[in-house]
Amino acid sequence: MSAAVPSAPEATSAHSVRELRRAVRRRWGFRLSVLLGWAAFVGVWYVVSLYLLTPQQLPQPHVVATEAGELLSQRDFGRNFQASILRVVAGFLLALLASVGLGLLIAYNRWWRRFLVNTLLFLVSVPTVSFAILSLLVLGVSPMGPILNAMIVTTPYITMNLAQGLTGVDRRLIVMSEAFGRTRAQMITGILVPASLLSVLGGTRLAFAVAWRVGLLTEVFASADGIGLQIRRSFESYDIRGMLAWALLFIVIMLLIENLVFRQLERLLSRWRSPDGGAAP
Amino acid sequence: MATVLIENLTKVYPPTLNNPTQVQALGGLSMSITGNVFVAVVGPSGSGKTTLLNIVAGVERATAGSVRALQEGVPARVGYVFQEPRLLPWRTVVDNMLYVQDRKSDRSRREAEFYLQMVGLSDVADLYPSQLSGGMQQRVGIARAFLVNPDVLLLDEPFSHLDALTGRSLRDYMQRIWLQTRKTALFVTHDVTEAVELADRIVMLRPGGTAYDDIAVDLPRPRRHDDPAVRDMQDEVLRRFDAMGAAVRFGAHA
Repeated sequence: MSAAVPSAPEATSAHSVRELRRAVRRRWGFRLSVLLGWAAFVGVWYVVSLYLLTPQQLPQPHVVATEAGELLSQRDFGRNFQASILRVVAGFLLALLASVGLGLLIAYNRWWRRFLVNTLLFLVSVPTVSFAILSLLVLGVSPMGPILNAMIVTTPYITMNLAQGLTGVDRRLIVMSEAFGRTRAQMITGILVPASLLSVLGGTRLAFAVAWRVGLLTEVFASADGIGLQIRRSFESYDIRGMLAWALLFIVIMLLIENLVFRQLERLLSRWRSPDGGAAP
Repeated sequence: MATVLIENLTKVYPPTLNNPTQVQALGGLSMSITGNVFVAVVGPSGSGKTTLLNIVAGVERATAGSVRALQEGVPARVGYVFQEPRLLPWRTVVDNMLYVQDRKSDRSRREAEFYLQMVGLSDVADLYPSQLSGGMQQRVGIARAFLVNPDVLLLDEPFSHLDALTGRSLRDYMQRIWLQTRKTALFVTHDVTEAVELADRIVMLRPGGTAYDDIAVDLPRPRRHDDPAVRDMQDEVLRRFDAMGAAVRFGAHA
């Protein structure tokens, strides 16, 4: 009896094909498990709405989805969505600007570090609803409320991540740059910015989600339009279906921004970290 | 022709919280290098070797004394090979090379590729440092130093972090490129083998950063580590170290 022994290249090729199949199976298995998680969530929702609560208390998922679809087709949705997103993005961009200055101070000045770190921690610990109510009291019903609140609440997240990124820069790279006669501007663009970009992005993702929440919460209390106001109106007319539909649309928008903007940006910025240099799809 | 003039160079590090006593790295070192020679500075830890290079490169200031690196009377351009590659991890190999170039053009890219080819890395130009081995990264570091067309080349123990075989292979690359370019080189090492293999002259430092001896290495190039003449020279340098009574023992590779 003789066994067929593959030659070395054949064995290697068979091995890599097996590895590839295994990797593909793992990837699909992971996606399937995520889908199953969502399916389980919807299933629990059905069970609760059918057997534990009334449809008025908790409408079934397909009812909420239909309502969300109807909202999407209304002109009001575009107007309210635009109002909300512009405020959140404006607040977020202001926070980004403020964070660059504050992050630099924290990273490179000991006194400012002491002062600002404590101040930012204080800001993080204040309940966001306090800012929403405060803006109503101070600014009244104004588009500035959601903008300022989004800025105030997100600035600590971005600042701390930027400061962390800057202080984590490898000092030896700076010495290398000096030895090769690089200018300060070249060091900033060539080292400081790229070295801190990933940690800033990490903070930015979290901050953007927080900005959305705060912006909408402020709209609930102090705005003449926007998704937050629509949620409040549904609440006032005890329209749980409408409230959940707005919330569902809000979640979908968040997920789209996370997956189409932030995740892609992160993949682009961190391609140097992957073993294949980001070449793999 | 490049000249490096070092006069009474002293560097004292002030006390810190971690080290409450001041440390003298260099104690009035004087030496001069003229022309396209390869000079090795050999000494035990604490003899101020890296400090010397950093002061020549302009990234540290001397406490007293002076260093002048000149090319035809004007400040010399310096290329530096560090102990570790010090590559920017977010840039590809060729972009790392171009980072030290003042002008980014097709020509500078071609030059970068030329030096990568010299160190045997022409096919990795578009890879990231994390995709290269430690030895390959260090070869990029060497190519980068040559890319700026330096008048003075500074080498700070560039082979010390590599395994013996990779280190030997890199020394061969270094010797080959140096023979083609003949840059004025100041090479710091604690390894006598490396010094004899590469240098025309070996300056021995004692702890505290003063010169003890200056030895001419008059051997034909290219040199091989197993050449009997190279080995005899290593023995001679080691004997002089013993005579210096250095506290630290320097091991030559067998």
